Amino acid sequence: MDIKINNKLTCTNATTLQELADELELPQKGVAVAVSNRMVPRTEWGITPVTEGCDIVIIKAVCGG
Amino acid sequence: MIQFITHHNERYGYLDSVRLALEGGCRWIQLRVKDATDSEVRPMAIEAQRMCREAGATFIIDDRVELVRELGADGVHLGLKDMPVCEARRILGNGYIIGGTANTFEQARMHYEASANYIGCGPFRFTTTKKNLSPILGLEGYRTIMEQMRQHGIEIPVVAIGGIEEADIPSILATGVNGIALSGVVLRAADPVLKMKQIINISQNG
Repeated sequence: MDIKINNKLTCTNATTLQELADELELPQKGVAVAVSNRMVPRTEWGITPVTEGCDIVIIKAVCGG
Repeated sequence: MIQFITHHNERYGYLDSVRLALEGGCRWIQLRVKDATDSEVRPMAIEAQRMCREAGATFIIDDRVELVRELGADGVHLGLKDMPVCEARRILGNGYIIGGTANTFEQARMHYEASANYIGCGPFRFTTTKKNLSPILGLEGYRTIMEQMRQHGIEIPVVAIGGIEEADIPSILATGVNGIALSGVVLRAADPVLKMKQIINISQNG
């Protein structure tokens, strides 16, 4: 399905934020993620669903990717 | 996505402002303490970081790169007159979020090329919180900068800052900006916790 990451259309198989984080190989530290403008603490990534068209903002320390 | 920038007034100190913002549901705090040394700020920063960790909030510090490294904060925010982003990156390495203030697309691009991870873009309008203000952007300014960033393939998040009130949030987010940074508007409210809750609610529902 298609989701938006930092305003860019991206295809993913992830159904939760944790799966998306694994897919994108997000580092353990220096990452902030918001879904539909809500900042989601890492402890809630596993229970936060990723759905078609959802709007995700990722601020992460390491550039690129 | 709301970033709260610490502030103080006659009712609340810096740490109070952190506590109120977290209680109101904010999960991104920038500790900004101007006109103080790192050793003066250190105890406050340690406590603010502890509160943020407990709440699962991202914690960054304004300007103080060495303190960020020493405490292992999540990152640093650099104003246009602070240390350049590339120098901060050299000191901190890749494990830290670095944000840079920009007033123009050129400054945003400069930060991006220097490895910034997000842009604090503003000011939206005139504000009394900060001295030495750059020209105000307004909604049109954000539209233009976001469009230029798209054209240049710059995909780091942009947070609008500077004199933003609750009612401005939906129209600012509609320009494509990813987040909003706030300070004074929360602490000036009769009930800052409630004000933060309302602001977060508006940012999520438009």
